[in-house]
Amino acid sequence: MIRLERRVETPRWLDVAVPLASFVAALVVGGLVLQLTGHSALGTYERIVERALTSDGALSGTLVAATPLLFTGLAAAVAFRMNVFNIGGEGQLVLGAIAASGAGLALEGRPGWLIIGAMVVAGAAAGAAWAAIPGALRAFTGTNEIITSLMLNYVAANLATYLIFGSRSFWRSLEGSGATFPTGKRLPPEASWPSLELGGVVVPFGFLLGVAGAVVLLVVLRATRFGFAMRVVADAPAAARYAGIRGRRVVLGVMALSGAAAGIGGASNIGDTRHVLDPRGLNQAGYGYAGIVVAALARLNPVAVVFVSIVMGGLANAGRALQGPDFPAGLVGTLQGLLLVFTLGGEVFARYRIRRARTVHEAHAGAPPPPTAEVTA
Amino acid sequence: MTTTEHAAETAGGPPPAVAASGITKRFPGGVVANDDVHLELRAGEVHALLGENGAGKSTLSNVLTGLYRPDAGDLWIHGRLTELHSPRDAIDAGIGMVHQHFRLVAPFTVAENVVLGERSPFRRREAEERVRALGERYRLPVDPTARIWQLSVGQQQRVEILKALDRDARILILDEPTAVLTPQESEALFEVMRAMADEGRAVLFISHKLDEVLAVSDRVTVLRDARNVGTVTTADVDTRELARMMVGREVVLGRARTGRAPAPANGARPPALVLDGVGADDDRGCPALHDVTLTVAAGEVLGVCGVAGNGQRELAEVVGGIRRATAGTVTVAGERLRKADPRVAHAAGVAHVPEDRLHTGTAPSLSVEDNLALLAHRRPPLSAGPFLRRSRIRARALELMARFGVKAPGPTTPVRLLSGGNVQKVLLARELSSDPALVVAASPTRGLDVGAIESVRATILAAADAGAGVLLISEDLDEVLDLSDRVAVMYEGRIVGVVDRDEADVTELGLLMGGATLAEVGP
Amino acid sequence: MNSNLFVVIAASAIFYGTPLYFAALGEVLTERSGVLNLGVEGMMLMGAVTAASTSIHAPGPTWFALLLAVLAGMVAAGALALLHAFLVVTLRVNQVVSGLAITILAGGAGLSSYLASVWGVATGPVPHQLSSLDVLGLGDLPVLGPIVFDQNALTYLSWAALIGTSWYLFRTRRGLELRAVGESPATADAMGIDVTRSRYLHTVVGGMLAGVGGAYFTLAIVPTWTDGVTAGRGWIAIALVIFGFWRPDLTLLGAYLFGAFSSLAPTLQTRGVDVPVQLLDSLPYLTTVVVLVAVSSGWASRRVGAPAALGTAYEREDR
Repeated sequence: MIRLERRVETPRWLDVAVPLASFVAALVVGGLVLQLTGHSALGTYERIVERALTSDGALSGTLVAATPLLFTGLAAAVAFRMNVFNIGGEGQLVLGAIAASGAGLALEGRPGWLIIGAMVVAGAAAGAAWAAIPGALRAFTGTNEIITSLMLNYVAANLATYLIFGSRSFWRSLEGSGATFPTGKRLPPEASWPSLELGGVVVPFGFLLGVAGAVVLLVVLRATRFGFAMRVVADAPAAARYAGIRGRRVVLGVMALSGAAAGIGGASNIGDTRHVLDPRGLNQAGYGYAGIVVAALARLNPVAVVFVSIVMGGLANAGRALQGPDFPAGLVGTLQGLLLVFTLGGEVFARYRIRRARTVHEAHAGAPPPPTAEVTA
Repeated sequence: MTTTEHAAETAGGPPPAVAASGITKRFPGGVVANDDVHLELRAGEVHALLGENGAGKSTLSNVLTGLYRPDAGDLWIHGRLTELHSPRDAIDAGIGMVHQHFRLVAPFTVAENVVLGERSPFRRREAEERVRALGERYRLPVDPTARIWQLSVGQQQRVEILKALDRDARILILDEPTAVLTPQESEALFEVMRAMADEGRAVLFISHKLDEVLAVSDRVTVLRDARNVGTVTTADVDTRELARMMVGREVVLGRARTGRAPAPANGARPPALVLDGVGADDDRGCPALHDVTLTVAAGEVLGVCGVAGNGQRELAEVVGGIRRATAGTVTVAGERLRKADPRVAHAAGVAHVPEDRLHTGTAPSLSVEDNLALLAHRRPPLSAGPFLRRSRIRARALELMARFGVKAPGPTTPVRLLSGGNVQKVLLARELSSDPALVVAASPTRGLDVGAIESVRATILAAADAGAGVLLISEDLDEVLDLSDRVAVMYEGRIVGVVDRDEADVTELGLLMGGATLAEVGP
Repeated sequence: MNSNLFVVIAASAIFYGTPLYFAALGEVLTERSGVLNLGVEGMMLMGAVTAASTSIHAPGPTWFALLLAVLAGMVAAGALALLHAFLVVTLRVNQVVSGLAITILAGGAGLSSYLASVWGVATGPVPHQLSSLDVLGLGDLPVLGPIVFDQNALTYLSWAALIGTSWYLFRTRRGLELRAVGESPATADAMGIDVTRSRYLHTVVGGMLAGVGGAYFTLAIVPTWTDGVTAGRGWIAIALVIFGFWRPDLTLLGAYLFGAFSSLAPTLQTRGVDVPVQLLDSLPYLTTVVVLVAVSSGWASRRVGAPAALGTAYEREDR
């Protein structure tokens, strides 16, 4: 029989070894799934690496794909750290995209820096506001934020669809082909976010913003009173209450912070890549859920989120490039899911020691008689 | 369960009901809770297992009930070598346990709790009838259709005992059963235990209270630091001898307050705490405090005793600003608390040492320095604007750790890795570092070893000597009597009597705790 | 025509509510054992895609293919539930995170979508579909006939499941033990009840019921596979458990209420009512939020019926 025994302290090397081993295990099982369904595992992996990393412009594409995951990953990491399970990153990203595209369209003709700044702020504010709904419900009525934040994802998706397909809204283009086939208005060229070229790799502005955001979050968590309060509330809500920490405000603040991160992700989707509000593209991408995978793989560490988002972005980038009968749509999601499941399972090795329970009594044939003699002090 | 027929009957009568030899149990982190422990429990005796908190008594009983599997050692039940893989095995071997923290399902009825885990089909009426009959037979009356959460603690304990009896446990283990009872209820329990033994059952009575052990047991096995000290016949020893075996040295715990002048009733300083007609609700929204009126003078220790669940927690929380008072006023050091807010209470001078010291008093996964910074982290010098000043937090932690004698590997060690005594010292260090006007301490020494108890008591008394009023809330009557200047008794959310320590009488207090009024008890 | 509209909405409330009920009933059992399963959505999708594939590829008469399809859906969802049980009971992974992981793994962009491509499911309506059965020949009764006696086999089965589960939970020893495990695993353990086995069993059975709910989508409602066909119904099912105070009977009422909202969009559209379709589509989700808020505040906030140990792992030697 196998027993788990809680470790008092986790050895350092396990912090690295466990995620790596989980990664490998997930690849092995993913390969098994591929082989069982008639695909070549090695061939598929080879093509993923090629399209994500080594081929021309692959790395640039990977960073573009990584950018939204970086933001939703940060969103999930900051909330999950506090045991606030915001799984509404999806909807908050959509709201961020709606607000940022709205800001970009409304400020047409103004200087680029103003438009871009307004897009970032609008995206963050809209994401924060959308997240504040389940946040406030959790804080003030005790409503489980998991389900409410998730339900709002569907509402956000419907809202974006409504703006383009169900109404003659400000976002919808009514000229040219847009009059017959619904599409969003294109943002002015000044609203396109700049990018940085580093040794042939194009780094989107959004990605840089995300890296800066990760650093800011790290500082908030480690070195501010708010971060301190977060850690206390997460670890011992009762102790926080006794110490006069306003738990409700902290929960609400964390949700807003989380939503703001996801919202900037939506703004980046408009500014960096699409330049138009595209509900179908947003609703199919599943950025919010992938962000949870990113955060979990990064063990909720904001800086690790940056690196994990690049890996996941590579996977997504390759998936998009390769999509076809040989590379079905669900494959990327399946691999992500496997990574997540194995990471969670692997955590157990970091937290527990596996021990085989002893079976002693075979050794007791011809056991001595039980002690009956009285022992005295 | 595996058993091996033990071939040779021991000379001179039947084998003991339980013979445990060489039991060793280690926990992660290197804690050895039982180290080569021996125990022999005979049918028809009340056998006491005596030891301090942390001596390994509960671990041994958990081994005997199949909850823990020992790392080494053998167990003979009625002469058979027996391996208990699970509680089910222990039940099948005829072992019944009354746990210190009751193992009862609160929303279930008494009857449902008693028959839980049996194998026959569940028939409600039949079960209720059986439980009623059993209760009458053993003089443990309890309504089988009542739900557990509706019962008093004493009644819940009866259900625990009935559970074991219903399965006809020949071996009965009671883990610190008197901790939650009034002295009178304890007396009644001892009679039940004697009756069990007279029926030929083996009764193991786990306790750290010497007088109880002397009063009820036939033999005593003493544990200290996870090891056997020895087994003696109760009639052959006295309190002093048992205390020496238990602690390992001569100890005088009682009357820590003797020699200290009673608090001066001067008008110079306002009372540390004045409660006037305070009422409050519990978590379910039912009234838990009624018209509580109390005064704690500066420099005075007021002990509040009572059976658990009679409003003590709510009282502490109202004073600490965690729970809203539905009626009355709370005044701390002359300042009326108008709002239930821990920050307001703390600013007025309340220091709060809650009962659940690890999860309510501290954030266990956070470091010692962070826990010491809690509360003070909000203001300079520990923070500047929104930012924390880590170097000052560290310096303050080191200073407090030295002043209050916190033993920890370092200021960055998570609090959960510390011993109970050191957790309590961290908590006291944080709370007392602000020179409070009032200290609210709930069961401050529960579960600590003797060394830590002495040091925690000394710290609390030192705070009183420095002029703070102390509201000491404890179910441990001895502790209340040892430390307090005056003693208040709580029953069902009311203060049913306040007496001076020197005039206090254990029997009287016990009756008050059980619901008698001061008039009934007499002067 | 008013009574006619009522009949249509009532009948379709039951029709659309049935898959929600299967999933919610499964979740009632799972949560009663103290295990929170947030993987319901993923399990429903696995059930849906497996059932669709079976309906396409299975031989034989329709009843046989359908039986096979439902069973296949149960097995696929049950296997996922087994994974969840292993993660949370044996490995003691945080139950919330594990459930999320299961839903992400099997969800609309994951394994269920992948299997749909591999099995070639997304080709059009499945050949064998559940149709309504006029049991007892009472389908022609006015009002009651179309509402109650003209449903499909799975709906009738769900009513049997309601009775069976209620009896199991409140009248049998196993049910008593299940509730004890969810309320106080330490007590159950001390009384000789196998906490681990109970939690595994009820998590897997709960997952299988979610699989039936998923199969209902591809066999009766849509009845075509599209990625993410259940559209968050698994999450609504979890909310229904709270709404129904962890009781099988109240949960049924909740399921039908949500069924009515789900049917609103198609019903009103066919009648040419001019409301934005996106608003109608959002109604079940918005209602879920409103209902959850209502249930979690006020008198109901004492969480009557919520198993006390819900969401927590049990460790015997924890100290």
